[in-house]
Amino acid sequence: MIPQEYFLTLAAILFVIGAFGVLTRKNAIVVLMSIELMLNAANINFVTFAAYNHDLNGQVFALFSIAIAAAEVAVGLAILLNLQKQSDTINLADLKLLRW
Amino acid sequence: MDVYSLTWIIPLLPLIGLLLAAAFGKKTPEGGGYFVVASIAATCVLSLTIAYQYLTTANGVPVEASMTWIDLGGGKTLDVGYYIDGLTALMLIVVSILCTLIVIYSIGYMHEEGERKRRYYVEIALFVTGMLGLVIASNYLMMFIFWEIMGLCSYLLIGFWYYKPSAARAAKKAFLVTRIGDILFMIGIIGLFGAFGTLNFRELFDPAQIALVDPNLFAFSLLCLFGGAIGKSAQFPLHDWLPDAMEGPTTVSALIHAATMVKAGVYLVARSMPMMVHTPDVLIVVAAVGGFTALFAATQALNNPNIKRVLAYSTISQLGLMFLALGCGGYIIATAGADEHLLELGNTGYMAGIFHLMNHAFFKALLFLSAGAVIHAVHTEDMRRMGGLSKKLKITSFVMLIGCLAIAGIPPFSGFWSKDLVLESAITAAGVNPWFWLLYIGGVIVAFMTAFYMFRLWFMTFKGPEGEAARHAHEAPAVMWVPLAILAVAATITGLFLMFPGTGLPGVIYTVSPEGHAIAGETLGWGWIEKFFTAWPTYVSLAMAVLGIGLAYAIYYKKSIKVDNVASGSLKGVYNLLLNRYYFPQMYDGFGTKVIYGLALVIDWLDRKVIDGVVNGLSFVAVRSGQTLRRIQTGMVQTYATVVIAALTVILLLMYLLGGL
Repeated sequence: MIPQEYFLTLAAILFVIGAFGVLTRKNAIVVLMSIELMLNAANINFVTFAAYNHDLNGQVFALFSIAIAAAEVAVGLAILLNLQKQSDTINLADLKLLRW
Repeated sequence: MDVYSLTWIIPLLPLIGLLLAAAFGKKTPEGGGYFVVASIAATCVLSLTIAYQYLTTANGVPVEASMTWIDLGGGKTLDVGYYIDGLTALMLIVVSILCTLIVIYSIGYMHEEGERKRRYYVEIALFVTGMLGLVIASNYLMMFIFWEIMGLCSYLLIGFWYYKPSAARAAKKAFLVTRIGDILFMIGIIGLFGAFGTLNFRELFDPAQIALVDPNLFAFSLLCLFGGAIGKSAQFPLHDWLPDAMEGPTTVSALIHAATMVKAGVYLVARSMPMMVHTPDVLIVVAAVGGFTALFAATQALNNPNIKRVLAYSTISQLGLMFLALGCGGYIIATAGADEHLLELGNTGYMAGIFHLMNHAFFKALLFLSAGAVIHAVHTEDMRRMGGLSKKLKITSFVMLIGCLAIAGIPPFSGFWSKDLVLESAITAAGVNPWFWLLYIGGVIVAFMTAFYMFRLWFMTFKGPEGEAARHAHEAPAVMWVPLAILAVAATITGLFLMFPGTGLPGVIYTVSPEGHAIAGETLGWGWIEKFFTAWPTYVSLAMAVLGIGLAYAIYYKKSIKVDNVASGSLKGVYNLLLNRYYFPQMYDGFGTKVIYGLALVIDWLDRKVIDGVVNGLSFVAVRSGQTLRRIQTGMVQTYATVVIAALTVILLLMYLLGGL
């Protein structure tokens, strides 16, 4: 049987790649995609623990998480669309109105 | 029905007159003056009724009633109420009669003032409220409130002709100088409250309570109370406002600055006497200040050409005699122990002060109102422009002569009896403490000077060749000379009150202790006459009075002594010193511009540099740090996220390393 650590390591690598993307990418769509990566890293963890502990709650939670991620992407993309309409850019470096 | 339960209405009635005059004064004749006259006459009737009731039935036991005004917790309260004893009864009689007469006189005197009459009557009514309220007050706080009402009215009425710069200045001066005394009075009240936890006379006058308090705080508070009396009664060194206060209408000078308000200081000391007899040192101060002021003010009256200012200095001087008597009498009681003879003598001295207060109120009101009638007739206050008025102002010159005889101390007019008792109390006190001889000698010199300057005033005004201002003079209307005639009768007979039947005047006004009342109850009745005319001091002061009158006669009537030689000759320096009031106005000004202004500059510097500096510094730090710290807010979402993740990482790492996880 594949050891649990393999799955957890994979999830951790995915999570860090996602976080790095969120913090460094300037394009808002790429940032949104990076957030998806982080969410999926969490989903992998859910499923892993569910399988190894014989508890279906984890898998149910993963399903919930996927549904919420879909809704979040819908909302996020709508915001980005409006942003593009209003300020002609979705470059995060240019969007710094809320400051001194 | 218990007539005392109406006491609270006494100060209320003039207030009703005030409201009526204020509301309807424009549409009624004399600016609503008749409302005020009626209300004050009504309060006079009520006061006399209550005083009569007290004097005939109370046997020296004070009548008192109070209710709580403010509950401070811990059993401490501030009360309102009334307190009637012999002193109160006597003051009620004197004050209410004088107020009534002077307000009636005002109807004639103020007739030509037009629109401003309403203002005058409203302020006078408020003043009467203040004075009567002060007299019936049952505690020091109430006294202080009414005391301040009077101070306000004094300020307003001195500045009645506020468009005259000298009047406006005099009003300000009176207000500010008496304020020093008022602050001392307040400190005294606070001190007493701190010592006793109450301000009610009934509890403060209890010897058992006095024995329990801190003697230093007690003496200090009483000294401060006397400071208040110095301010209000224009004693040295706060005396200089009273001559300037003559800028007001003459009726105001008569009512406020001769007969009633300036007596409030004497009344305060007399009222506090049951406490003061436990502090002989304070009483020495009272006697010394009084004796010195009596002499000091009398000298300035000697050569002043202004008829009202002579009377003003004379008032200060006579007030000094009252304090002298109270101080001496109290001192004798304080040192008497259980010696009944000394107690009786001390009581006589105390009584002399109040007796002189009463007599002086009547004859000085008479003198001021007569002077007012003269000023009304000749439209000047300068005596050098008067002269020869006795032909045209027959009634005025006659009643003023009675006033002059009374103040000079010629029997049987009232001033003789009380002034002699004052001097006698100084002699008795000298038996205890030889320093009091000085005060006695001063008092005798005052008696001489008083007779001199009063008859100088009378001769200059009414005798000699007709002055330039006297040509169109005419006698005052009846509404003015009738009060004058009543006052002249009073100035003649009030001295005879000494021979009251029953307990006699000493018994009536003794308030220091119930035992004292029993001692004082042994009346001399007509025996007073024998007592007076068998004692040597009587002849000394009589001789002084006659000498003073003779000198005035020689200088100002016969002109056998040329006064101009004195004014320009060897005594020129002294003459000018007196005319310039010992340069006291300059000293006040110097004090004001140097000391107070310097102090103000220091405080201004402190305010601008230190206090404002601290405030400005604080705001500068806040603004500058805000400007620096706001740079953190870049508006970059990713920067914030980086900080969050980095912080979280660090926290988790620390928890892992330190074993919290």
